[in-house]
Amino acid sequence: MADARTSVNVPAATAAPETPAELERRNAAARRAWARAGLVYVLLLVFSIFFMGPFLFATLSSLKDDPIEWPPRIDPPQLKPANWVAAWRLGKAGGGSGWFGSFGPGAEVPFEVTYFVPDGVEPQAPIVRVPRRLPGAGIGAVRPGAFAADYAIVSDVVETGRKPAEQDGVTGQLVTYSFTIRHNGEDVVADRLPLDLEVPFRQTFHSATLAPNRIERLGRVQSWNNVTPGVIPYVFYNYTRVFQENYSRTTGKNLFLTWIGNSFFLAVVKVLTHLVIASMTGYALARLRFPGRNALFMLILFSMMIPGQVTFISNYLVLRDGIFGLSRLWGQETLLNSFTGVILSGLCGGSAVFIMKQFFESLPRELEESARIDGAGPATIYSRIVLPLARPALGAVAILTFQGVWNEFFWPLIVLTTPQDKFTLTVGLLNLRQAYGAVALDWGPLLAGAFISALPVIIVFLVFQRYFVEGISFTGIKG
Amino acid sequence: MQSGRLGRFLRPSTLKTGFVALLIAVLIALPAAAQTTVRVSGWGGTDIAIVEELIERFVRPAVEPQGIRVVYEPIADAYETYIVNALSAGTAPDVFYVDIFWAEGLMRAGQLEPLNDYLAKSSVLRAEHIIPELLDAFSLNGQIYGIPKDFNTLALFFNKDLFDLAGVPYPDADDDWNTLADKLRRVAALGPDFYGLALQPEYARFGAFALATGWEPFDENGHTNVLDPRFVEAFKWYTGLLADRVGVHPQDVGQGWGGGALSTDQVAAAVEGAWILGFLRDSAPNLAYGAVPLPKHPGTGQRGNLIFTVSWSINARSQVKEEAFKVLEALTSPEAQQWVLERGLALPSRAALVDNPYFAQPDPEAQANLVVFQGASDGYVHPFKFLNYGGDWMAPINDALGAVLLGELDADTALREAQQRFDALTGR
Amino acid sequence: MQEALAAYLFLLPFVLSLLIFFGYAFVRAIYFSFTDYNMFDDPNWVGLANYIAIFRETRFLVALRNSIGFSLIVTACQTAFALVLAVVLNNKIKGIAFFRTAYYMPSVASSVVVTLIFLWAFQRTGLINYVIEWFLQYWPFLAAFLALAAVLQLLQVLWDRSRGRPVRWFEPGAVLTSLMLSAAGVTLLWATGTLSPLEVEPVRIVWLNTRRSIPEGGGWLSLSMPLVSIMMLNTWTTAPTFMLLYLAGLQDIPRELYEAAAVDGANRWQQFRFVTVPQLKHITFLVVALGLIGSLQMFDQVAIIGSAAPLEAVITLAYYVYSNAFPGGALPRVGIASAAAVILSILTLIAVLIQRRVVEGNG
Repeated sequence: MADARTSVNVPAATAAPETPAELERRNAAARRAWARAGLVYVLLLVFSIFFMGPFLFATLSSLKDDPIEWPPRIDPPQLKPANWVAAWRLGKAGGGSGWFGSFGPGAEVPFEVTYFVPDGVEPQAPIVRVPRRLPGAGIGAVRPGAFAADYAIVSDVVETGRKPAEQDGVTGQLVTYSFTIRHNGEDVVADRLPLDLEVPFRQTFHSATLAPNRIERLGRVQSWNNVTPGVIPYVFYNYTRVFQENYSRTTGKNLFLTWIGNSFFLAVVKVLTHLVIASMTGYALARLRFPGRNALFMLILFSMMIPGQVTFISNYLVLRDGIFGLSRLWGQETLLNSFTGVILSGLCGGSAVFIMKQFFESLPRELEESARIDGAGPATIYSRIVLPLARPALGAVAILTFQGVWNEFFWPLIVLTTPQDKFTLTVGLLNLRQAYGAVALDWGPLLAGAFISALPVIIVFLVFQRYFVEGISFTGIKG
Repeated sequence: MQSGRLGRFLRPSTLKTGFVALLIAVLIALPAAAQTTVRVSGWGGTDIAIVEELIERFVRPAVEPQGIRVVYEPIADAYETYIVNALSAGTAPDVFYVDIFWAEGLMRAGQLEPLNDYLAKSSVLRAEHIIPELLDAFSLNGQIYGIPKDFNTLALFFNKDLFDLAGVPYPDADDDWNTLADKLRRVAALGPDFYGLALQPEYARFGAFALATGWEPFDENGHTNVLDPRFVEAFKWYTGLLADRVGVHPQDVGQGWGGGALSTDQVAAAVEGAWILGFLRDSAPNLAYGAVPLPKHPGTGQRGNLIFTVSWSINARSQVKEEAFKVLEALTSPEAQQWVLERGLALPSRAALVDNPYFAQPDPEAQANLVVFQGASDGYVHPFKFLNYGGDWMAPINDALGAVLLGELDADTALREAQQRFDALTGR
Repeated sequence: MQEALAAYLFLLPFVLSLLIFFGYAFVRAIYFSFTDYNMFDDPNWVGLANYIAIFRETRFLVALRNSIGFSLIVTACQTAFALVLAVVLNNKIKGIAFFRTAYYMPSVASSVVVTLIFLWAFQRTGLINYVIEWFLQYWPFLAAFLALAAVLQLLQVLWDRSRGRPVRWFEPGAVLTSLMLSAAGVTLLWATGTLSPLEVEPVRIVWLNTRRSIPEGGGWLSLSMPLVSIMMLNTWTTAPTFMLLYLAGLQDIPRELYEAAAVDGANRWQQFRFVTVPQLKHITFLVVALGLIGSLQMFDQVAIIGSAAPLEAVITLAYYVYSNAFPGGALPRVGIASAAAVILSILTLIAVLIQRRVVEGNG
């Protein structure tokens, strides 16, 4: 491809004058190259949709009220700028800020709603209710807080306009009503103002200041979770739920942030132990002669082939007993439910050693030989000469270890069971699946949680993607 | 010799110094007593928030003055697994949840502390305070191994709007299988998008109908017979509802369970427990629903029902059993149960709470809770447990229901296959 | 001697952890597999009883069947798919880094996250069914598009050849033109109403909570629907990793080989078949070995799907081991679990050895 492009740009004058036939052929070749690039792009795009599509669509759906609605829309109300503006205005009207709304003293929330009424039906003003609604089945159920219903005064509902319209082939009129909701309390601030409107059966909802979260009872009731949301809680409703509802009531810490922190901590520590131990072991295997070298190498290869399910029972028992009681030396009865246990049981993996060994073997021996002649011992050679050269392999080990630890599930699930602030992010996500999936899968917070937990590793990946790619190739290329 | 020393000890002067010494000893011992820690475990998910509140509001104020520190350790996943492992490792908590579903294995293995003596001594918590059907579920050979914290039974939840729209009277407590099916058929006649009953392919729902016929899960030899005519009748009635849209698999309206199906405004009724209420509060807060007892079997004139319950139990190897029982008392105190009930979180296990003013409220949630509460002692009621087979016992029935409701097998073939699996599991 | 001493010092931390957490554990697993250990009581030697018991147990046989089928199919699919992706990506054009990043995305996110998203997408009213329904509605458009493109291509090539230009059947320039013209044509047909979406029954395929299998009624040879769903998921998440391995291998193939092949008159397919594939042999060995090892251990997906699919349909050996070691509400059956684990490792070793023979023999 690159050759083709340069051949287009090279001025014809550099060569001898061309015959028209040659020119024609060269132009044809250039056209062919461009067209081929175009085709490759089309193919690449199709594959990207295949790989990225589900992620992007899941991310989009995590904003929706009902992520498994049918048919799935690609323009949920949460993505419409008109609703952002409305959420901002209503958030301010409710006494909060435009970003984060609330319903506090002095609030005066204007609201407008339009219905389609077919000819022959007498339009009726909706019945307006501010319900005293408990958050339901999720962890939010015990969330304390003031109810807006206790302080909200709803004004009279006034009809403000009618105009003829047609909907699905039925003629009728659009009737608009408006009302305001006032806060009459002294200093109690409710974090949300839920609203229900009820109309007779044949009067159908058309539009409102803010799009409703649900249409219920065969169209008779329009229901809002919060009509003074502010932009962030409106657009990222499921995300605010994940953060608000998942905190430890014992320590008050936000669990999601704690889990992210735990995963980072474990990942960083394990990356360090892997770097040190894998490079030392790899160097010894690649360069030093000692009895049992081949046997050890075979054992490492063998250990990489044996599934974790074979060894986990014994390892569980070993950690339970504090590695033959050794942990009592630093005062821990058992290494279950402790990060020390997770770290000690996974100091270094066979594949990291393998990568380092392969890399060291590919280095020319001359550098070390000359140092050896100068009288340097193995430790000096390792730390002064070999290690600085090993940066690409170390980068690969670091990045692959990070990814592996961040995503590890089986082992932390067995070792880290309680309390909640000991979980890693993957175990935490499983906890989330149970918290929001006890009776029915509540996909909003689940997808939001999945997105939040994927985000850090995606960022790490985007920043260090060169090392990822190199690292993966290292495991194979020199093998 | 012995008595002489004792006599000297009892002389007033020594008594005085002895008293002082005792006082000092007590004073020294006090901080040690304050160190007594009782570890409490429950499962993860939604429950964590509830138990944390309970401990904060009711348990700590009650037991902290007695020098008992309460530590709550919820378990994220595979709770039963964790408990069994921790019991084996000797690291199990002192007070923990035991689900009726797998309680029997632990009771038989002697891992749970029998509570009869504690209950006999207690002033706050006695066996007769608890609804007997629930206590029976946690009893084995006359010993009580757990205090039920709450419970659930099944009821028929229905969408009032759909019945109104179709001009059909609401289901009521006098309905039997036939009259109910008839009402549902008339609602389903509203149009092709409307259905009668949400039919979950699970013993946890269908079981109530099988029991209503007088069928027993185990015969006197401990065998299960699903080719029993009574079971076959219930099975065919339940799966037969699929015709004419009288029944619908929840998946066909895009939902995973009966509660979800009810919230779509397309399905007239669902068989669920009080756990549906929290879900409806979130997903369909304005749904006009009602709850009535399950229909009676036309032959026996009885209803069937299942009791789902969870207990607080004490670790048989706990070092602090007396203190653990105090914590257990506080966890199941009338005040704690009242709080749980009023927040609409669960039904209390204390019999006295049936007179609670909460149940007299007109709102549909309180009404539904009352129906579910009364379900525990109406007709052929069995706890949701299967000797010590656990979930393995239900699998053949669930698979048969699933296969028939999805149209993959016919009822007779499915039941024959299920019976083969029961023969392998429970013996012939 | 001094060198050996230094070597042992270098090796100490790794060997220590390898011996405790692998060597000791592996030996103990083998020992447990001959006992009735349950984590409460002391183990008793029971000989081969556990092995005999598991081969009589249906669930184990199902798990074994599932694991083998899963492993073979997933490894084959992901290897082929990875190779195709790598060949497409092995173009030196602008923005290739972006696509490489995009493709690698499913491999970066953890299996927990991906499985959650997968559960969501495979709901009855989920994304997958929607895409299928959409396809069923619009397939006439696709068919018309392809047919039109083929006709246009034919016309262009014939026209060019009639004028004596040496064009190939899939001349890139002509293909691009045909595709664009065809897209315009289909849009026109749609606008005029000649083509319209078909009316179809709503697609409500049950992917997970079903006992259905593919092919229907194939007995031991058919695979359950939920397992097929997990296969699709696994291929999707692991193919990009292996793609990177292939990509690295492709970049190491000397250009001269292709040039020589081109001189010999090999077309692109022949170049791929006789240069690319043999040159990538050692990579293929690695990819297949890693694929087999990884897919035989499949556990996370089964654990997270949980009650959303019948256990019999998705259970794998790895999950069988776990569920016996930590059975809900019953005593751990460590003996049974260890016996199954030992069989799992024997299976892995055999698979790797066989495939090594196959790959070497094919060279």
